[in-house]
Amino acid sequence: MPHQEALSVVATLEPSRRSALEQTLTGMRADPGHNTLVPFAKLPNCHFGRVFCWDAMSDPQGNVLPPQLLLLADCDGSSDVFLADLVNVAGEGLDGVFGHCTDYPSNPSAATRLDYLKNHRVKERAHYAHRPGRSVEQIKQEAELRVAVDEFLAHLDAEDSSALQVRERVRAFVSAHPKLSSLIEPAPSTELGYRVRQTLDRVLRPLLVLLLGPVLTPVTSVGVLLIRLQELKENARHVRPERDHLDRLTVLEDHSAHNAYAAGGFVKPGALRRAAIDSVLQLVDYGVRHLFNEDSLAGVKSIHFARWVPMPNRRMIFTSNFDGSVESYNDDFINLLGWGLNLVFSNGEAYPPTRWLIFGGANYEEHFKDHLRRHQIPVQVAYSAYPTLSARNIENNAALRAGLSGNPSEEEAQAWLRLR
Amino acid sequence: MAALAVRLIDLWRRKQTLIKRALAQPKVPPRIESTDVQGLVFRGYGELKACRYVLLQLTGEARAHAWLSSLAEQVTQGENRSPATAVHVAFTYAGLARLGLPEATLAGFSQPFIEGMATPHRSRLFGDEGKSDPKSWAWGGPGTEPIHAVLVLYATSDAALSEVYSHQRDSWSNSGWTEVTSVVCSSTIDREHFGFSDGISQPAIEGYHESKSALHVIKAGEFVLGYQNEYDLLTSRPLVASSASGAEHLPLDVEAESARDFGRNGTYLVVRQLRQDVVAFRSTLDHLTQHPDGSSNPEARALLAAKWVGRWPSGASLVKTPWKDEAALSRENEFGYHKEDPSGLLCPVGAHVRRANPRDSLDPNPGTEDSMGVNRRHRLIRRGRVYGKELAPGAVDQEERGLMFVAINANIARQFEFIQHSWLSDPRFSGLRGESDPICGTLESNCFTQQHSPVRRRYTGLPRFVTVAGGAYFFLPGIRALKYLASLGSA
Repeated sequence: MPHQEALSVVATLEPSRRSALEQTLTGMRADPGHNTLVPFAKLPNCHFGRVFCWDAMSDPQGNVLPPQLLLLADCDGSSDVFLADLVNVAGEGLDGVFGHCTDYPSNPSAATRLDYLKNHRVKERAHYAHRPGRSVEQIKQEAELRVAVDEFLAHLDAEDSSALQVRERVRAFVSAHPKLSSLIEPAPSTELGYRVRQTLDRVLRPLLVLLLGPVLTPVTSVGVLLIRLQELKENARHVRPERDHLDRLTVLEDHSAHNAYAAGGFVKPGALRRAAIDSVLQLVDYGVRHLFNEDSLAGVKSIHFARWVPMPNRRMIFTSNFDGSVESYNDDFINLLGWGLNLVFSNGEAYPPTRWLIFGGANYEEHFKDHLRRHQIPVQVAYSAYPTLSARNIENNAALRAGLSGNPSEEEAQAWLRLR
Repeated sequence: MAALAVRLIDLWRRKQTLIKRALAQPKVPPRIESTDVQGLVFRGYGELKACRYVLLQLTGEARAHAWLSSLAEQVTQGENRSPATAVHVAFTYAGLARLGLPEATLAGFSQPFIEGMATPHRSRLFGDEGKSDPKSWAWGGPGTEPIHAVLVLYATSDAALSEVYSHQRDSWSNSGWTEVTSVVCSSTIDREHFGFSDGISQPAIEGYHESKSALHVIKAGEFVLGYQNEYDLLTSRPLVASSASGAEHLPLDVEAESARDFGRNGTYLVVRQLRQDVVAFRSTLDHLTQHPDGSSNPEARALLAAKWVGRWPSGASLVKTPWKDEAALSRENEFGYHKEDPSGLLCPVGAHVRRANPRDSLDPNPGTEDSMGVNRRHRLIRRGRVYGKELAPGAVDQEERGLMFVAINANIARQFEFIQHSWLSDPRFSGLRGESDPICGTLESNCFTQQHSPVRRRYTGLPRFVTVAGGAYFFLPGIRALKYLASLGSA
């Protein structure tokens, strides 16, 4: 099964085209999968896709920064191949979107479109996938399997059967199923090349850190102390989000099982904070590649994909696709991952006060929630390949398939039949 | 390796929780200023059988505050532990604005209260669509008269209630207030219309109620503004400048020296009039449990109803008595779902009470203190009452009946709205698929999964049994805050 990669395209919008772009995006939003400009659903290996605008803003010095247009996608396999597919599938549709940008070619062709998008690609600082290796195709097939098996069980008189007997009948049903019989076998693992690269990365990076230890340790200690001194001087006030801004956000929220989240802001000025965010995002990158790659981002199980994208003018954007409401997402963050958020986001302007980078911060519940709301960016067009499935549903469906093979005990078969 | 990292983080987080608890423990929780809190926060007045909700609009201007002055003397305060009658008053955002609360104070209320219950986004979150659409609400919707206040009256009998009501009516109507509508609750029915005891599992307020239950004792700040909540923080509250006229009525704010706290000892009241379709409830149950020959099966019907609710009609939990009602167990409320029934074989995972309060079954680490800690941040005090006549078995339905759902919480978004959306309505709650709460779910065609061995049972085609007929968010002020509000009339 292919591993997952990210595509992030960031272009500068011609400010005078802002309202024209809004119309374009509103049109696309009516059907993110099959709209005429970027029909994400026609890209079968696209998990999530989005197109949105980060509006013009002033930096802390008062300089006006132009609006940015972003196209992001999470795909199976190589993102280079995905980008080429995107250009093929969307074709002239891309002109309708990126034509609003300052430097888009005037007479675009397939080749110049691809060049344009390649030139505007930004490398994510870290990319999280809920379960690396699980493709769109697999997720959809296993969801079908789930429905079919449920339907089969609903009509099965099993009251006097053992769990193992029921399992055998399910296996027979799946084996004989015209569409789903291949799912009797366990899901194949990710490509060999990917696994080798992963293993090397997993080992080499800590080795490098170990080797540099004699230098890194004192440098990091001094850095952390200096940051602690900064923290003592900082005094971020709790500011409530504007009503208009909230309205622009909530109108886009809670239309399916998932929400597409985006938040952006300035990194605090100075080399120290830049170094801090760079190192922390290195850690995050390592963490999401090697530690949090089995169904949870450090305990948060409702996130399908997430990424950190560097933006021009000392800015950063974080995006994610998660299950449920923003309120429950924020609560999960505070309850499970406050330290992690603090580590990254306390390097951003206006974050609630932290101590030693990891304490405080997100634990100031309302201040934190309002901070996130104020920095949240409306995502006008958000596509999901499986808009009714929560991450937990997907996990359960995969466990259903996995349980079709092997030699379970009666107890294990019982647990398998109890999967939600 | 990933598992190890998660485990380490987990251990570290647990240690943090323990340290936090250890630091917090020796501190004696501050006494609640209960004489300044409206008593409804502390008790539901079970012995006062008669109850009426009066929804009011401020139509005049001149003497609007006069009624508030007299009300401030009559409102039942928290230390009045067994009153013969009780009077409570709460205001909407529009009402407080009409009464002249300063703009800066109004901006200090929570966002849901400011915006109100009937916004398009909330309608989507709560499933207030179709028959529950605010456009068709009897009150509180966009098409009805604005609501500025709710007066909640309690008395021992209908006759006594009518006396309290007419006394109040004389005062409010002389002060420019108009009754938009009233909901008179039933003084004779002690179970809700589907036949179940309601309001059993209530949180105990730390510093007021006596309970020692680790499950149910919740920090006062979750239910009353001005005290520490479950994050050990004070919830945002509306402040008044100390120099403002009338501000001397209010307590000083604990954090800002130059301000007085309008919110202290007040809280938010969520009111929703929920219509119950008793005929549909009974016939659906009957249909789903019939014998193969099409005849009714009363035992199976009662069992399925209990599986939907998670409790038996007496209130006894299915975790304690899964196969038959035991009235003796009706008040037995010290149990954990994960601890006693992790798979839902006794009380289904999607049962109404298990959704509304999952107790110890939440991530992370169901069954642990971490899990309970998450649960404690999503609790409600419920003060609902039944309205409309009881429907005799087999009788024809001719009038509306239901529940005036009333919940008290300090943070509407994290408490009421979260529970309503993420637990009750969410079709994917706890890994389930395509099913909303079986009792008050929001899907037009709902399902219900009953975990069972060896194979689950799945019931389909459940209609919506409960629809919304009205609703609003109110602020239930402390008594000093009420006096301050009254003083705005003379400014």
